[in-house]
Amino acid sequence: MPHTRLTVCAQQPPLRVVRAFHLGDGTALTHLHNLSGGVLGGDQMEFDIEVGPRARAQLTSTGATRVYRHRAGMPDAVQRMQVQVGADALLEYLPDPLIPFAGARYQQATRIDLAPGAGLFWWELVAPGRDARAEIFAFERLQTTLDLTAEGRPLALERACLEPQIRPLTSLVRFGPYRHMATFYICRVGLEPDRWPALEAQLNNIADQMSRPGEMLWGVSTLPAHGLVVRALSYSGRALPGGLAQFWRIARRELYGQEPVLPRKVY
Amino acid sequence: MTIIRLTAYINRSVIRSWFFPSIMITVRAGVLLRPATLRFVMSDNALNHLRLLQLADSALPVGALAHSFGLETLVTLEVLTVPQLEPFLADYLDEVGVLEGLFCRTAYRLAANPDQTAMAQSWLDLNRRISAFKPVRESRAAGAMLGRRLLRLVLDLEALPPVERALAVVGQEGGDIHYSAAFGLAGGALGLDEELTVPAYLHQVLAGLVSACQRLMPLGQSQASWLIWTLKPVLIRVAARSCHQTLEEDAVFSSTPLIDVGGMGHPMLATRLFMS
Repeated sequence: MPHTRLTVCAQQPPLRVVRAFHLGDGTALTHLHNLSGGVLGGDQMEFDIEVGPRARAQLTSTGATRVYRHRAGMPDAVQRMQVQVGADALLEYLPDPLIPFAGARYQQATRIDLAPGAGLFWWELVAPGRDARAEIFAFERLQTTLDLTAEGRPLALERACLEPQIRPLTSLVRFGPYRHMATFYICRVGLEPDRWPALEAQLNNIADQMSRPGEMLWGVSTLPAHGLVVRALSYSGRALPGGLAQFWRIARRELYGQEPVLPRKVY
Repeated sequence: MTIIRLTAYINRSVIRSWFFPSIMITVRAGVLLRPATLRFVMSDNALNHLRLLQLADSALPVGALAHSFGLETLVTLEVLTVPQLEPFLADYLDEVGVLEGLFCRTAYRLAANPDQTAMAQSWLDLNRRISAFKPVRESRAAGAMLGRRLLRLVLDLEALPPVERALAVVGQEGGDIHYSAAFGLAGGALGLDEELTVPAYLHQVLAGLVSACQRLMPLGQSQASWLIWTLKPVLIRVAARSCHQTLEEDAVFSSTPLIDVGGMGHPMLATRLFMS
C-alpha cells in the first residue's frame, strides 16, 4: 500500500500542521494545531486542503477549538476551509468539538468538492459552551456554512446562524432540550446509488439503539447523491465522539472493506 | 399605456389592502377609467386571486396530507405538544420560511425568463440546490413528490409553456421538482402577483403542518384555525424578508436540527400515520 505524503506549502501562526504519521493502511494522519490555544476575536484563519488523486489523509485537531469572548471593536473571528478531494482519494476529517465561550462571535465557512471516486468522512461537533461551568448557549453568534459538492454539483448545503440571545436555541425547532450537536458526512462518489439506502437503514438501526429521548437523539439520512449524513443532538457531549466512531467503523467497513484507525483519543 | 400601468397598480394595491382595492384605485390612480375597462381589469384580478386560492388550498390533490415533515417523530417522542404549537410554528416559519420563500420567489421569476435554455438550466440548478438544503431523505422526497404533482396538475388545468419546459427538462436530465419551486413557477407562469404567491405558498405550508398536527395530537378544529389565523403576520413578515435576497448570497440562514433528527428517525417509528 503506497504511503500518502504530507506537503505543507505554507503555514502561518497561530495555525500549525503537525508532521504526518503513517497509519497501517498508508493513510497520513495529520494534526492541525492552534498555537494560541484558541480562537480570538478578529482572527482570520484559512485552511486550504488538497488531497491528491488516490491519496489518503486523516486530519484531526490536537484539542477542542475554543472560541474566546469577542473583543469590542474587533471583527468576528472567521475560519475558512477550502477542501478538494481528488479522484479516488479519501479524506477523513475528525476534529475535537468547537466550544464557543460566553460572548464569542465566530464565523466558519467550509467548501468541500469531491472528484470522481473520492471518499469523505467528515464530522463536526458543536458544544453549547463550557457546560462544566454551566455556560450554556451564552455565545453571541455562531455562523456556519457548508457547501459539499461532487464534481461541482451540490450534495449538502448548510446555512446556520445561531444567535441564542435573539433566537433561543431551546426552541423545539432548534435544539429543544438538547445542548450538543454532531454532524457526520459519509460520502463516496460513484458508488452504486442503491447502496446508500441500504447503508442508511443499517446505520439508522444503530441510531435507533443509541437514542435515548431526553438524553440523546441520533438520525441518519441519505443525501441527494453519493452519500449520507448522520446527525445527533445530546444533552451531554460525552457520548457523541464514541457514537460517531461507531458509525465511522461501520461505514468504513461497508464502503472500503477496512476498519478505520481511530486517532488516540477518548471515545 | 395608461391601462397597463393601472393594471399593475391595481395588483399592488390589492397586496396592501385586500378588501378595499377599489378605494385605492380611485384615490391613487388619478385617471378616470371608463366603467367597462375597470370591470375587465377587476375580473382579471379576481380570476388570479381565485386561482391562487385554489393552488394554496390544502385540498388540492397533490398528496400534501400524507406528510408531516418530521413532526410525527417529535409528537411520538412527546417532545411536541399542543400548548407548544404556537411558538413552535412561529419559530418554524422564522427558521425555514425565508429560505422556502426564496426558493418560491426564485422559481416565480424564472417563469418570465425569455431565454428557454437559460431558464431550463436555472430550473435544474435551483432544484438541485433545494435538494442539497434538505438533509432528510423522507422530507426531501415528500417535497419532490408534491412539486412534480403540482406542476402536472397545473399543466392539466392550463397550457403554460414555462411549466411544460420545467417538466420536460427534468424528464430529460433527471432530478427533483420541489414544491416551493413548483408553486413559484406556477404562480409566475399564471401571471399571479409575486407578493401574493410567496405568502400563499408559506400559508399552504403552515396549513399543512397544522393539519398534520390535528391528526397527531388532540388539536381541535377551532384551535387549528386560531393557530393559522394568529400566525399570518409572522408569515407575511417572513415572506417579505425573502424579497431582497438571492440564493447566491450567504445571508439566508436556516437551521432546524431537532426537526432534522426527528425526520431522520421517522423510518424507525413502530407505527406511522405519515410518509414523512
